[in-house]
Amino acid sequence: MKILKTLALLLTLVSTTAYALLEVTIIKSEGNAFPIVISPFEVVGNAEQGATIANIIRDNLNRSGQFNALSSSNVITNKIDFSYWKNQGKDAIVFGKVEQISSTVFNVTIYIYDIYTKKRLYGKTIEVHNSGIRRISHFLSDKIYNILLGQKGAFDTRLSYVTVTSDKVLGKIYQLEISDSDGQNARAVVKSPYPILSPAWSPDQNKIAYVSFQNGRSEVFIKYPFMRVKPIKIPQFDGISSAPSWHPNSQGLVLTISRKGNKDIYFYSLKSKKLDRLTKDVAIDTEANFSPDGNSIAFTSNRSGQVQIYIKDLTSKKTKRATFEGRYNAKPVFSPDGKALALIHRVGKDYRVALLDIKTRDLTVLTQNKLDESPYFSPNGGMIIFATNRNNKGVLFVISLYNNQIVELAQKGVEVREPSWSNYSN
Amino acid sequence: MIKKIILITSVALLSSCAGTTIQDVGDKFLNLINPSDPVVEVADLGESEIILESEYVIFSEEGLALLSDEELIQVAKQQGIESMVILDSDGNLANREEIVSALTQFGTVARLSDEELIQVAKQQGIESMVILDSDGNLANREEIVSALTQSETAARLSDEELIQLAKQQGIESMVILDSDGNLANREEIVSALTQSGTAAETLEDGGVSFILYFSYDDTEIDEKATQIIIEHANFMMNNPKLFLRLEGHADERGTREYNLALGENRSLSVKEVLGLYGLENRIEVVSFGEEQPVAFTHDEEGWQKNRRVEFIYQK
Repeated sequence: MKILKTLALLLTLVSTTAYALLEVTIIKSEGNAFPIVISPFEVVGNAEQGATIANIIRDNLNRSGQFNALSSSNVITNKIDFSYWKNQGKDAIVFGKVEQISSTVFNVTIYIYDIYTKKRLYGKTIEVHNSGIRRISHFLSDKIYNILLGQKGAFDTRLSYVTVTSDKVLGKIYQLEISDSDGQNARAVVKSPYPILSPAWSPDQNKIAYVSFQNGRSEVFIKYPFMRVKPIKIPQFDGISSAPSWHPNSQGLVLTISRKGNKDIYFYSLKSKKLDRLTKDVAIDTEANFSPDGNSIAFTSNRSGQVQIYIKDLTSKKTKRATFEGRYNAKPVFSPDGKALALIHRVGKDYRVALLDIKTRDLTVLTQNKLDESPYFSPNGGMIIFATNRNNKGVLFVISLYNNQIVELAQKGVEVREPSWSNYSN
Repeated sequence: MIKKIILITSVALLSSCAGTTIQDVGDKFLNLINPSDPVVEVADLGESEIILESEYVIFSEEGLALLSDEELIQVAKQQGIESMVILDSDGNLANREEIVSALTQFGTVARLSDEELIQVAKQQGIESMVILDSDGNLANREEIVSALTQSETAARLSDEELIQLAKQQGIESMVILDSDGNLANREEIVSALTQSGTAAETLEDGGVSFILYFSYDDTEIDEKATQIIIEHANFMMNNPKLFLRLEGHADERGTREYNLALGENRSLSVKEVLGLYGLENRIEVVSFGEEQPVAFTHDEEGWQKNRRVEFIYQK
């Protein structure tokens, strides 16, 4: 059953920064999701965040595609009418309390109950600073996800993406932005009149590698988004430098560098500051992505005459072709378990996100779009974020691999593109 | 595709026309648009600029005869045939008749259908400039009209005038004289002038001089394109101080990073041909992938305009 519903995000944000938010819309939803009730958190003292926390949790769970979360109209405390919620078809209930301790410190308490067994599944009180209300909401969302589904959630993580604004006077403005996993709390870390592409979070979340044309040609930079230091430029030769992807240890990255016209994959070590050539082919080799164990890379190459994906084992130095279906497969990214690749697959005249089982070579096309680009897995592997074109405008889609639910992240009058998802926070 | 020509004339130009009232000049321009019709609408001349807009601006000899030399040069600039303007040592227009005739020709050419235009382009040896969209329609009508105007006019020039123009355009080395001192390769020069006209025009401001288009996911240079690149090689050899920046671009389909690589390969294909003439050290290759489209529609018409290498000459 397909339900079309729109979630208007009317969050009272604790953060007062005036950055443009991504508007979140569920544009395709499937049934069979876990039915759950989220009560507004009980507020003790001068704490206004009770509803905020509950709303963030509800929207997070719904965005995953694995939950059908509804807010209860009344604040639920210790007295739970289990039979009422059972009749409403709900399986679990979440409620809690926000208690002010000082002007800036709060105690947040959460309870998760199973409606059928009437048992408490989880209960905890956490002390949190005022500025951490959003963060604690994401943390608690991950807890609920984990307790009810037995899997790791991916809510307490970040996104990076590029926005393009067309200004009548200034022309195009490209911004590299970072936000929470729900597109909220966004801020620009790089702003430029020149194109920016391929931002990628380092797994330790300290750095973002990206491509900028600020010097008239494509160059790879490393930005420390939480430090006041200038971006570092990766050395290159006489041609393009692009397509960075981090090693799982965050101490190096693979990228495409053109030397005497030949585009190959190189590894750059932040420690030794040296470049190591990983592929040697006269064809285009680009869009490399490290496997989660760091032992191999998947990349795009037209060495066969067609654009296809290859996997190189960095220990045995052997390269194998990974895609055999269709004439265009590009931009591979490994799933967090290393067993699958998300990629862009050409179907007729359309370019769509597809999922490749590396072992069986089964290819599943996930969308019906025309111009999909830049897929990226959520760190728990449950979702893929990618860029596409909707109503002639660049937007981000998040597709749930659980039931193909699609959520749109868009910004009014602004192109949004080139998403990447961070790893878990430490 | 509807061709729209917009004439924008600033007060600066109007006030420079000594001895004419602003009303006179306004009438002249209205006359230019449609000389046979009575003046039905007079633009508000109190405005800081006069903008005359119509689907087609048809030029007639009578209408153009009313214009001063300065105005004529202005119109020639607007119609992209500035390179034909020859000034005498006092800075006056030396070939007024020629420009009037070229602009009249422009009017005639502009009225042709796409099929007729393509036919004429073939006859004039500039077939290689014709770009068709996926439906077989003419994609670069404006460019062809402007090129044909130049070609038709160039064909009517005397040998001496042609040689002079060739000198101005820096293709003097292409001129071959027979034993009597007459132009031996007239047709070649006419065709070269027609095509290099655009190249020389924008040279001064470092703008895009020429655009070479490519097929989907393709970097091949065909025979026609090779001919054009050879002309650029000649041009560069005659202008040893010029540098050439080749900017490769791709359409939006496929992934951004692959397209960035593809754009570089397109520029490199062009550089390879120019390298045969020993020019590689004066060439800079850059790729913008799909990041700087010139057409914004998500269809073949837009895509084919974006699969390109731009030739940008720099001093």
